[in-house]
This record gives sequence, structure tokens and C-alpha cells, in this order.
Amino acid sequence: MRRKNRSRPVEVSVVTRAVVAKSSGILLQTFGNPLIRKELRQRMRSVRSILALSMYLLAMGAIAFIFMYLNVQGQTLLLQPTRTAELFTFLSYLQLAMISFVTPGIAAGVISGERERQTLTVLLTTPLTPLTIIVSKWLASISFLSLLIVMTLPLYSIVFLFGGVVPSQVIAVFWLQLVTLGAIATISVFWSTFIQRTGWATVLSYGTVAVIYILLGIAGYLIDGVAAHNPDASAWTDAATLCYALNPLFMLASIVERFGLITPVYHNTLAASLFSSVDAHHLASSGSWFLFLTVYLAGSVVLLGACAWRLRPGAFSVFMRRLLSWVAR
Amino acid sequence: MIRIENLCKKYGRFEAVKNLNLDVRDGTVFGFVGENGAGKTTTLSILATLLRPTSGRAFVGGEEVTRNPSAVRRQVGYMPDSFGVYDDLTVREYLAFYGTAYHVAESLIESRTRDLLHRVNLEDKVDAYVNTLSRGMQQRLGLARSLIHDPPVLILDEPASGLDPRSRIEMKDLIKGLRDQGKTVLISSHILPELAEMCDEIGVIQNGSLVACAAVEIVTARANGQRMLGFELLEGGRLLGERLRPNPLVTEVVVQGEQRVEVLFSGSERQQVELIRELSLAGYAIKGVSEVAGSLEELFLRLTESDTKSAQIAQPENALPASRVV
Repeated sequence: MRRKNRSRPVEVSVVTRAVVAKSSGILLQTFGNPLIRKELRQRMRSVRSILALSMYLLAMGAIAFIFMYLNVQGQTLLLQPTRTAELFTFLSYLQLAMISFVTPGIAAGVISGERERQTLTVLLTTPLTPLTIIVSKWLASISFLSLLIVMTLPLYSIVFLFGGVVPSQVIAVFWLQLVTLGAIATISVFWSTFIQRTGWATVLSYGTVAVIYILLGIAGYLIDGVAAHNPDASAWTDAATLCYALNPLFMLASIVERFGLITPVYHNTLAASLFSSVDAHHLASSGSWFLFLTVYLAGSVVLLGACAWRLRPGAFSVFMRRLLSWVAR
Repeated sequence: MIRIENLCKKYGRFEAVKNLNLDVRDGTVFGFVGENGAGKTTTLSILATLLRPTSGRAFVGGEEVTRNPSAVRRQVGYMPDSFGVYDDLTVREYLAFYGTAYHVAESLIESRTRDLLHRVNLEDKVDAYVNTLSRGMQQRLGLARSLIHDPPVLILDEPASGLDPRSRIEMKDLIKGLRDQGKTVLISSHILPELAEMCDEIGVIQNGSLVACAAVEIVTARANGQRMLGFELLEGGRLLGERLRPNPLVTEVVVQGEQRVEVLFSGSERQQVELIRELSLAGYAIKGVSEVAGSLEELFLRLTESDTKSAQIAQPENALPASRVV
């Protein structure tokens, strides 16, 4: 009995060590990838990047400070938890907007830029696989924005000082932002690979983002209106939920509305009327998160695979031939 | 080391490469000559695994480029005709990046970088940013980059294009040095006299087909096989030109004035003697006849002038087939 009790922690530690070793191995392999190292080195070396990071943090900090100052009017004791929640909501929307605007600008030139600089040809003659090239470029482009998001974590922690927001909300918002960032980066890398010119790739990336945010929102709103007049038409409601579920803005609204955070901020505004149509509890509980994550994660995998195929079409047949011979063995 | 069998590459209806056959032996420098759009870059791109052929096969070091491209990539150092460099990377980092991409051991990269930069005469630029280097320096760095994994085969597409004369000479010397190291080099260029100095063999490609391929000495001799004869006269150059034009052994007549006429003569030496005697008997005031040395440039121009002309050139008894001749 005693032996059994002793052996359990040992087993756990072995498993933990194995998991840590495996994870660190994958991390080392990923970030030891020469292309990622080069991209990060190039990106972080420029003064522009350092300035962008500093300015962003300063701007977010200033916004948080002004927001809080205006609310308390210099008297910290008057700060209400609901006001902190408003700040959190405001910062979350601001950060999502930043991700949606900046990501195409960074990621839409990763492959087309290489093509324009005439460096892609040489890169393709190295033993780096097209998938490695695409994933490395994708990771490098999201790493900078991920850093921006992570950098604002201390800023978000200010809201914990005064209450009003629970950690699960912050985690949910960060997950949403990261998945949105990854999805928009994938879309931008896709256009960058399939379109020769960076300018056009950027335009198409912004266009796709606009479709996701604006068209899906309007479509959901209209379908919801139809559904309101046809209470029996559950298909309409499902269609509206699908449109909302694929729109990161509405998913963010579902998080903050679920906790009753949206109304004070967007009271009597167009956004409030739009978001009020979102049944936050329904969105949050109807598998919308599952849908959101599945569509964007699976879509990202498919699009990145298509990019790898486009980069070197022959590689796919070589891969399939090897796979078949491996299966045959 | 490099073998191409019935290689074809089509872009839609346009046939960029047509049934190309080529064999490049180990340790030789092979020059690929052709006009713009002749199919040189397409062929080199197929060998560098950048393009897939429509039909036919290509091998590098025994590995077929479509079946085992990764093995081919490890054996080939490729330098395209125009390539860019990464901003914000030093020369050392640039080479280290490609070294790591080619799976060169970290411990080897530093020493190999030093050695290559010494070879391409850029050792003092090791910490300079690559985008600050001149065009010639970037070309030399490109050559160093293509050698970072010590490949047995080098494919260089117009390595001297856009370089000033001094840089061209440096590039030429570098390529000669590679031959001395036993590398197999496939090089395309328009600068034929330089190719003649560097190459062991040359192939002339036109409209996607190889129209001539042989050792440099043989090709030069072949150029001489259709000799350019210079007639020096006291007078009557134009009349001589008129007289020679209908002659079936004369391909081309260039009247350079009353005192000099040059003709491209495809007959034998005996026929040449008979022609001179015949002209003298006809009363032409010929002071002398000299043979103008045939150059690769002339051969190239003649071969690529038209398909008909190249067919004519392929006819003489010492003509070479459009495949490798040892």
C-alpha cells in the first residue's frame, strides 16, 4: 500500500518530464527552424518593430489611464467594478480591431514579398519543404502580433485590481483574439501565395476580413430579422447563429454580453442595437465556440496546405508517392 | 553527373524545351549558350527542381529530379540569373541561414563561411549587411551561398550578367577555380568568349532544342570547318562578290570595299585552292587570301540565325550531331 502511494508521484513526474521533453523538443524544432529564426531576427532587428511595440503599449496604456481617470475623475475610491468591466470590454474590442487591421498588413507580403524580392527561387532550391516554408512564414508573421497581445496582458491585469472581470473572461477573450489572429494571418498568407503582387494580396486579405466582419454581420442580422417573424423557422435561426458564430466581433460580443458587460458601453448606439440581436447565451451555449474554432482552425490547416501545394506543386505528388510506398510497406 | 533524356517543357501551347538530350560528365564545366527565350533557364530550373518537365527525364548525380527532388537539392548549388538578398541580415547571417537550411552542421558553418568568403574575396564584408553590398559583391556572395553545403554540382544561370568587366573577370576566375576543385558546373551565358575560356564543353540551344554540343576545341574547329576567307584585292571587290554569290560552296559574302571581300566557305581545302585558281584565271586581281579565325560568337550567330542555316551547318562531313560529342 505504501509502495503504491509512493509510486504514483514518480509515475506522474515521469509522464510530466516526458511531456515537457516532447513539448520542448517540438518547440526547439519549430523555433530552431532556420527560416523562423531568420524571420524573427529580421523583424525584431528593425527599429520600426521596437517603435511599433513601444507605441502600441504606450497607446493602450494611455487609453486605459484616460478611461479610468475620466470615470473616477481623480478619485480612485469611486471606481466601480462595472467601470473596470467597461474598460476591459473597450480594450478587448480595440485589440480585436488592431489584430484585424494590422495582420493583413504584416502577413499579406510574406510569400509575394519573397517573390518580388526574388528570394523565393533560391529558398525553393533548399531542402526546406514547402510546408515548412509556409508554416514558418505564418508563425513568424503571427509571432509579432502575438507578442503585442501578450504584452498587453499586464495592462489587462489592471482590471483585476478593481474587480468586475473574472479570469475566465480574460482567457476567453485572449483565445478568441489568438484564433482570429491565426485565421486572418492564414487568409493573408493564402492570398500572398496565390497572388503574385503584395499590393493585390493585401487588398484581397482586407477584403476577406471585411467579408467576415461586415457581410457575415449584416447577413446574420437580416436572417435574424427573418427568423423573428417566423418563430417556427429554426433553420433561419441556425443560419443566423452560423453567421454570428463565424464573426469574431459577435463572438467577442457574446463573451462580454454573457457577463453583462456590453450594454453600459454601447448603450443607445448602432453597435448596441446590432449586438442586442445576438442572443449571447444562445451563442455561447449552442456550440458556436465549437463551430468558430473548428471552422477557423480546420480552415487554416486546409488553406496552409493549399499554400504549400501552390508553392511547389510537385511536392504533393512526391509526398503521396512516399506515403503510398510507406503504407504498402 | 547530369543527364537529360528527351526533356520537354510546355507552357500552355508554347514549347520552351523540345526533346532535349544532354550528358555532362563529372568534373566538367559545361556552357549552355542560347538567345533569350531559347530554353536555357527553363532547362536549368528543371535541373534545380524548380520546375517539373512536361515529359522526359533529368538526373543529377543519378537521382531523378522529379522522383527524388530533395536528394537532388542536396547535391545542387543553384544560382539564378537574378536573385535578391534579405535586408537586415549580415553576410555571416545570410550564409548561416542557408547553411542551416541545407542541414550543414552548426560547427561547420562558421569555418565554411570564412573559407567561402575568402574564396570570393569578401572576407572583410563578413559583418556588413547584404543589402549594402554592390551588385558584383552580391553575385559573388550568391556564388558563396550556392557553395555553402559543398555540393558536387553547380548550376549557374548567367552568373556574370549585369556585372562590370572587373567583376566578370573575378567571376570567371572563381568558376575556373571550381573546375579545379572537381565540381561539375553547368553554366549558361551570352558571353561566349568567356564561356570558351571557362568551359570544357558547350551546348548551343535554340528554340528549346540543342543544335550543337561538343567540347570547346571541337566546336571551335567546327566553326573553322565552315571557313571565313578574306580576299585581298587590288581592285574589283564588288565584282568578285557578285561572282561568288551563286557559288554553292559559298554561304555568305561580305563585300568590305573594292579591296576586301570576306566569304563563308563550306568546301574542303582542295576546293578552296581550286576556287582561288579559278578566280585568278578569271582575271581578278587577288593579292592574297587569308583565313579568318572562326570564333564561338560567329558559330553561335550562324547556328541561331535560322533553322535552315543550322541544318546547313550540320551537313559538312565533320559535322557534329546535336548531342554530346566526346
